[in-house]
Order: sequence, then structure tokens, then C-alpha cells
Amino acid sequence: MKHIHISLFLGLVVLFASCKKDKSNYDYKPNEQITVTGIETVYNVVSEKDKLVITPTITSNDTDAEFDYMWGIYETNVQGYAPVLDTIAKTKDLNYFIKQPAKAWVLVYRVTNKKTKYAKYTNVTINVGTEFTRGWYVLKDDGTKSDLDLFLSSSATALTEVKENVYSLINGVKLNGKARMINLFSSYKSDVTGIIANTKALFMVSDKDVSAVNVNTMKQIKNMNTLFFERPSTIAPNSAFCASSAYYLINAGQVYSIGTNTQNTGVFGGRKLKDALNSPYYISDYYYTATYGDPCLFDDLNSTFVTLANGSGTTLTNMTDVAGTAMPAVNNNKKALFMGFKSATYIPAPVYAYTTIGFGIFQDKTNSALKILTQMDLDKLKLKLTNDTLKTSDKIYNATMHTLLDADENMIYFVLNNQIWSRNLSNKFEQLQYSPPAGEVVSFIRHKKYAVVADAAFNYNYVMVGTQSGADYKVRMFTKSSGSLSATPALTLTGKGTVRDVMYMSPSVSEYSYSNTY
Amino acid sequence: MIAVVMITMASCKKDQYYLYNDIARIQFGPDIKLIYNANSALADTLKPFTFYYDAPEVTQDTVFFDIYAIGGVSKTDRPFTLEQEQLPNANNAVPGKHYIAFSDPKVSKLYVIKAGTVHTKVPVIVLRDPSLKTTTPVLKLNVVADASFQLGERKTLWRKIEITDRLSRPAAWTDSFSTYYYGAYSTVKHAFMISVTGQKWDQVFMSQLAIDLQDYYLSVVKTALINYNNAHPGDSLKDEKGQLVIFP
Repeated sequence: MKHIHISLFLGLVVLFASCKKDKSNYDYKPNEQITVTGIETVYNVVSEKDKLVITPTITSNDTDAEFDYMWGIYETNVQGYAPVLDTIAKTKDLNYFIKQPAKAWVLVYRVTNKKTKYAKYTNVTINVGTEFTRGWYVLKDDGTKSDLDLFLSSSATALTEVKENVYSLINGVKLNGKARMINLFSSYKSDVTGIIANTKALFMVSDKDVSAVNVNTMKQIKNMNTLFFERPSTIAPNSAFCASSAYYLINAGQVYSIGTNTQNTGVFGGRKLKDALNSPYYISDYYYTATYGDPCLFDDLNSTFVTLANGSGTTLTNMTDVAGTAMPAVNNNKKALFMGFKSATYIPAPVYAYTTIGFGIFQDKTNSALKILTQMDLDKLKLKLTNDTLKTSDKIYNATMHTLLDADENMIYFVLNNQIWSRNLSNKFEQLQYSPPAGEVVSFIRHKKYAVVADAAFNYNYVMVGTQSGADYKVRMFTKSSGSLSATPALTLTGKGTVRDVMYMSPSVSEYSYSNTY
Repeated sequence: MIAVVMITMASCKKDQYYLYNDIARIQFGPDIKLIYNANSALADTLKPFTFYYDAPEVTQDTVFFDIYAIGGVSKTDRPFTLEQEQLPNANNAVPGKHYIAFSDPKVSKLYVIKAGTVHTKVPVIVLRDPSLKTTTPVLKLNVVADASFQLGERKTLWRKIEITDRLSRPAAWTDSFSTYYYGAYSTVKHAFMISVTGQKWDQVFMSQLAIDLQDYYLSVVKTALINYNNAHPGDSLKDEKGQLVIFP
């Protein structure tokens, strides 16, 4: 009998459990749909100057819908702390004075049906700029001091205003030395905002100093006295550039870096060693990197291709030979006259890495009359070199400046006798492309292109030719067709001094926007 | 069926964890900043200490550990009790010679969890005995049950100090630090690093060393070692065991 009672009791427990209230949803109405229109995908605004005015239209298939609104904003490209969504309005329309520092932000618009709590989110990019964050920067010098001119623009071909000598205007002094190059480090660590955070920094390099400049304010963040844990005894900067996993500064032919995969404070570490014997080396001015790989460097002293593997470590790594290479990567008895980036190819799974092609012009150290045009196929540390011995009758044989067409036609441009020539790298055909007017001396040549979708109005693909005439410079920017220059430049910049480098800057430009090469 | 029900019920027995509303217990723990970091649960179990960097007139110093009461706070101060454990086959520290005994009135009053708190620093006064110039005695201290506290979790009831007056491996020179940065520890290597960089490379310095500075100093000492070895052909720098000093 007892067993029967116990069984009945347990049975009742099970039955009670089955009496759980049914909370299933038997509402067969169609899913609610809230539609938001009238909001662009990207807004470009200037901090402390522009208002962001947006008047969206809201519709819903719920005829009884009543809405709550929320506008929030959060920053991108953040490292070291978590970005916070800052609520800036709770109204349907937005009328907001931009105060955020210059960089890319994300604006979030949330529309919530108060009755159903269903919410629709819309995210748009807000490119916040300052008077310094959009335009053509021209690095120039007067022979002993360097400065920047900024050409504000309304499109890739239209200028609106010129700000001369913006660097010295803001910092009170020009950069000491003859200008060499400018490069953007878009995630450079600095404490300009009070905490160590990513800062868009323009690195100005002269032959006597380097200035890391905050692009938002044009104020110097650090120079050669403060960029290192230990200031090099010899100050003779060669270049500053970004590559995968590290930022590089070459000074007096020696390599210094900041590892970007680990915590850092924007200060360059110790001089890299060549080998376990601390053998001497001297890195050429010429280098290239596709930014997403280790840089291809050339040690002129030892005639050896080297890199800093994975952007880390204390010692440089020699490149290794690939079967069929025309000359060894190590101790090849050559001197670099030019080296540059041509193209990159992504190799998918399981490699997940890029191979790159560069070209260089090398001169034999024993037979100085021997010059070769070399194609460099680089797969991480493996280098295949393909040589084309130049004839003394080739125009490029005596060229003084070079630029490769970055991932475009298989051509190299060069300067010979103050004229701009091209050479087809496939069939060796050489052609005069442009002769500057009499009295103008070519000081700079570079092919650059900018193809960021979010900044379409400012995209360009130019061969830039800088010339000097007396105290004045001109930078003519030519479009090209099938590798040949247009008859007239699409854009011309003019100013005082001698041009050494040109870069278009915008809130969308990052260290990945341009291939990194001298 | 009854048996099945009983077994089922028995399986519902409460697990033997110590809860915050348990009776008063005491145990060591990591620095208070790290108590919510599971990886730091066993941090600071061993603290090497050296008088090497101190001026000759310094005769004693203090090593601190963190100790925690569980079971809630009390309205009154609660003393806790420490005792030394003699380790077999070891050079055990001698009270009065290498440290001030825990029962000594000069320090025993310091071993108290104050009213309204559950954490305090445990000071261990170490003494600079001349023997420390040539030896490194070890002091293992245990917390023991008393009128105020029962014991906490078993693995957190002890701490160790290695006391010396010689250059010694700081706790921050971990195995990971050896593997990925500066290689195997030796006092010769340690002294070389101090000489080259002008830094102490003691626990305080190393525990606060940022990664980029660590990389920088590695390149400095590596370069200096190469230059030293180049300047001493056939007589490269060797450690106290006769092994070549190497920075990977």
C-alpha cells in the first residue's frame, strides 16, 4: 500500500510539472518593419566648425507605432581602451555641433517602437576633420630648412585654398635640414589626448631631423631628440615608414622600429643588429613594403637584401634565394640605385599572406659600368631576382630619379636630363613623356593613387612631377592612359621652395592607403 | 523506487566550498588589484628578497604578503597566527638571525585583520645577517588556525621568502621571461645587465617594465654582450656555472 501511495505521489509531482503556463507566441502578424531614410552612409565634417544636421524619415508597417529616438556616437581605430557610445540626442532629427577630435567615428541612430520595443539601428560613418585633415601636403625645403604647404581641395582636381608653411606656422620653427619624405602613421601611439592612444601622425623626414606631427593639429609630437629610448649618436635620417607589425625609422643606415603588435608608447627601440657578431651594415635609402608585409630593405654595405622578420626581434634577417634566381640575395656585390614597390598578390588559405613584386636598379661594385634592372619577387623571406642588364644606350641607364607605376601598367618612370621618360618593363620600350618648361628643374617624381570608396570624390591616380624654378616650385599631377601621361596636368600645385614629396590627406587616409616605398 | 529517490536526493548534497558567509577563515592571496584575475590566484607564493642593492648600513627590510579573511567582516580587530615550517633538506631561515620571529612582540601585533576589513598586508621583517653574503636561506611561513580564524583553502595557506645578500633572480624573471626574452638566469648575466643599462633589474624595476622598454633593453644588452665578446676573443662572457652567457 505504501508503495502505491509513493508512486501516486511521484506521479502527481510529474503531472503538476506539466501544468506550466504556456507562454508561446501565437501572434501571427507579419514581422514589424521600421524603415529609416534620409541618412547618408558617410558624412564629412570639420570639428569645432560644422553642425551635423540630419532629418530622417521614419515609417513602419505598425500603424500604431510610437517611436523613441536615440543618436549616439563612438570612435573607431581604438587601442588600449574600450570605445564608449556617447548619446548626443534623443530627438527624431539631429542638429549637433561637432566637437569630436578628427578621426573616423560611427554615428548610431536607434528608432524604437515604444509599444513593441522593436528597434531599428542605422550606423553611418562620420569622418571628422580639422582644417589640417584634408588636402594635399607638399614637403619642401629651401636647402637648409623644411616645411609643409597644405592645399585644401574640394575634389581630386579642384583646390580651394592654400596654407603655406603650415608646419612652421603652428610650431614656430621650420624642420631643420633638407626635406626627404613624408609618411603617415595612422595608429602611432601618443599621449596628445592625455592618455596613450592611436594618433594620426605625419612623419616629416629631413636629412637632419624627423618630426612626428599630429595631423589634427599640425603640432609636433616628437622629434629626433625624443623619438628614441636612446637618441642615436649620429643624426642622419634616411626614411620613416610603416610595414606589417612595425613602424620603421632608418637613421644613418641603421634600423630602428616600434613593434605595433605589442603595447608601445610611440618610442623607437634599440638599433637592430645585422648578425650575432654585430657586423656593420648600412641600409639603402631605397626600400619598399606593401604595408601588410615585412619591408624589403637592401644593405648597401654588404650588398644583401634584409628585413626585420615579423617586425620583431633584435636582429635583421637576410633574405633567402629561390631556385632560378639570377643573383644571390646575400653578398651580391651590388649597390642600390633605386628600389620600389610594384604590386602585391594575396595568397589565400592556408597561406593568408601577400607576395610582392618590386623593381630595383643596381650597380655592380667592381664594374661600375654594369647596371641591372632587377625584378624582385618576394614571398616572405624568399626572394627571386630576375635581372635585365641595362645597355649604356638605354635611357634609364643614366636616370636620376625613378618611380614605378603602383599596381598599374608594367612601367617605370624616370628622369633623364631633366625630362620625364617611361620604360615598359615587359618590352623595354622607352618613351619621352614630359619635358618641363625651360628654367624648371625636376626635383621630385612619384606615382600615387588613392582609391578609398568612402572618399570617392577625392580618388585620384596621378604621376606627380615636381619642379623648381628659382625660389618657386610646381607640382604637376598627370593622369595617364595606357601608361602614357596626359598632355596637360589634371592639377597643379605651386608654391615657394623645392618639392621633395607630396601626399593627399583626408580622414579616410590611413597607413594602408598608399604603398610604402621611397 | 524509494531507493532511487533517496539516491537522487543524496546527490543534491551541498558542495564543500568556503562561502563568504562561512565561519571566519584566513588565507593568503595575490595583490588586491589581482584578486579577480584567476590567473593570479597563485601569484606571490614565492618572493625572493636580496639586500644586494641596499646601502651597507641597512640591516633589515620588510617583505609584504597579502592575506584575506573570509566569512565576513568583524566589529573587532582579529589577530591571526603565523608559524615557520621547517623544510626538509633545505637551508631554513633562522628566527632572530634571518628574520624576526612571528611571535616576537615587535611584530606579532602587526598580524591583525582590522575591524571592518577583510584584507591586510603581512609584513615579514628580514634581517641582514653576514651569512647572507654566501647563502640563501628560505623561510616558509604558514597561517595556522587560532581563536580568530580557521584555515582557508589548503593551497593558499603558505608563502615563501628566499633571503640573500647576493644578486638573485627576481620573481619577475619568470620562466616565460627566460624563454621569450632574456634567456636563462645567471647572476653573471644579471650583473652584466645592471652594469650595461645602469638599471637595478630588481623586482620593482622588472615588474613595471613595459614591453617596448623590455625590447629596447634587450637590444642594448645583446649589443653590449657581442661587443664584450668581440673585445675578448676566446674569452667570451661565461656565467657562474661556466656556461656562455647568451641573450636569445
